[in-house]
Amino acid sequence: MTQMVSLDKIMPQTTAGKTKIEVKGLNFYYGESKALKNISLALPERSVTAFIGPSGCGKSTLLRVFNRIYELYPKQRADGEVLLDGENILGRGQDLNLLRTRIGMVFQKPTPFPMSIHENIAFGVRLYEKLSKSEMDGRVEQALRRAALWEEVKDKLDASGLSLSGGQQQRLCIARTVAVKPEVILLDEPASALDPLSTAKIEELIDELKSDYTIVIVTHNMQQAARVSSNTAFMYLGELIEFDRTEKIFTAPAEKRTQDYITGRFG
Amino acid sequence: MTTIAAAMPLSMETVRAREAAVRRFAFTDSLFRRLTFAAAILVLMILGGVAVSLVAGAWPALSAFGPSFLTTESWNPVTEKFGALAPIYGTLVTSGIAILIAVPIGIGITVFLTELCPRPLRRPIGIAVELLAGIPSIIYGIWGLFVFAPFLQTYLQPFFIKLFHGVPVLSSLFAGPPYGIGILTSALILAIMVLPFITSITKDVFDTVPAVLKESAYGIGCTTWEVTRRVVIPYTRIGIMGGVMLGLGRALGETMAVTFVIGNAHRISASLFAPGTTISASIANEFTEADGALYTSSLVALGLILFVITFLILAAARFMLMRIERRAGS
Repeated sequence: MTQMVSLDKIMPQTTAGKTKIEVKGLNFYYGESKALKNISLALPERSVTAFIGPSGCGKSTLLRVFNRIYELYPKQRADGEVLLDGENILGRGQDLNLLRTRIGMVFQKPTPFPMSIHENIAFGVRLYEKLSKSEMDGRVEQALRRAALWEEVKDKLDASGLSLSGGQQQRLCIARTVAVKPEVILLDEPASALDPLSTAKIEELIDELKSDYTIVIVTHNMQQAARVSSNTAFMYLGELIEFDRTEKIFTAPAEKRTQDYITGRFG
Repeated sequence: MTTIAAAMPLSMETVRAREAAVRRFAFTDSLFRRLTFAAAILVLMILGGVAVSLVAGAWPALSAFGPSFLTTESWNPVTEKFGALAPIYGTLVTSGIAILIAVPIGIGITVFLTELCPRPLRRPIGIAVELLAGIPSIIYGIWGLFVFAPFLQTYLQPFFIKLFHGVPVLSSLFAGPPYGIGILTSALILAIMVLPFITSITKDVFDTVPAVLKESAYGIGCTTWEVTRRVVIPYTRIGIMGGVMLGLGRALGETMAVTFVIGNAHRISASLFAPGTTISASIANEFTEADGALYTSSLVALGLILFVITFLILAAARFMLMRIERRAGS
């Protein structure tokens, strides 16, 4: 049984899909302090994986390794391997801009760019594709529809992205991420700054997007993790404690610490 | 009061001592308030006093020449006919060119310092740029006259005159004998002088861009250039404008360095290589020799014009910076 647990950590048994992202022996440092300790796990393609754990456990840090956004800050570094479709993205030759078009990210606070709603989406697309005006309009509409925002903004595409409500802004950010056609979408507590209604919309959206994208979500809200994800990883103090099917994590966790956390005994 | 007294009985002395202390505090408090208020009012009074005395001093000239003072180019102490057009033109053109040169360079330095610079180099370069602001303007003046102007005269000006020879518009902008000194030389010196202002203010407003906004732009695959051009600069546009205005205010009023290198000729020429004058350079040059009342008054009127221009520009700059600070705070 104990052997089974260690296997579980690597890959949940029941997911049939192939592995999209595989993490092997990953360590992460903020200057001198070690924030991730020897993390290994495999995220199946076209499904939702949730990272849960108390604040400071390293779940956001792990997410930020996947698109190497941490490289913006000189004192942060990672060692180990992160394989995207079998290719190590932590390697020296990896083009960061290309990587970030393949792995999109949505942050805790909505971050619309200081431009119109249309431009917010077209901007990212235009960086890598040459589209005619009508093709671009089509792409913008498609992305907004995917993010369930089209009906609300179709008459004011020229309005500033900052004029939308918080929930709408967050869906705009998701639309913007989707428009670039990534393979993986990273969501860093995407609903924690939103009201319950907007949260429900975002969760619905995640559910729809998972048929096309591999989604990784960091959340403090355990009900949310239970609702949206197929697999859940529980992290604590920079270590991966348990990784399994969401159902199993929430009903019969193998680790005592997981049990304690989800029942609210610490964290 | 009665309930407190009932709950905690106090002796008569304690109550009396406490009341005395309260009265003492009330007195020192109001004294302190009045003193600081007086200090603040003093600034306004000085500002108002300067404005009033400028208007009073300029009045003889303004009433003698009327609005044509602003539109007349000739400046003739012998016949006592004065017009401010040449100094106004020189002031605006030198400052305008200085800003045109300093803004792209200043923003470039800021982008390099905030986004691209290796950490160990960041502080030394930042400090060096800020030290530029501390160099006394007289030093820019002698450097400009004895080092920079001869350099321009020998190399740059002949090159441009030859390069644009025969090209319409440009050939008249860059025409005439290469004196070394002149409008363009002053503009270049001013550009160097306002650079640190623009750089340090754009650096401050760039720092108000939320990290997460930049991360999300990098997150969809933007390069540093794209993030700067499409996210950071639009987000900080108002603040940058404020910085530019502060630099402009500095350039408009700069006297010493400009007086050294502008040539001090009261005329308007098409060529940027030609000598000219600015408001502050005219005043500095001519105050000692202004003998007639009308002459002096005309110089004061020049001062009044400069006061109004810089006041408006600095007020606009403050207003813009206030707006971005409010947004950063929310």
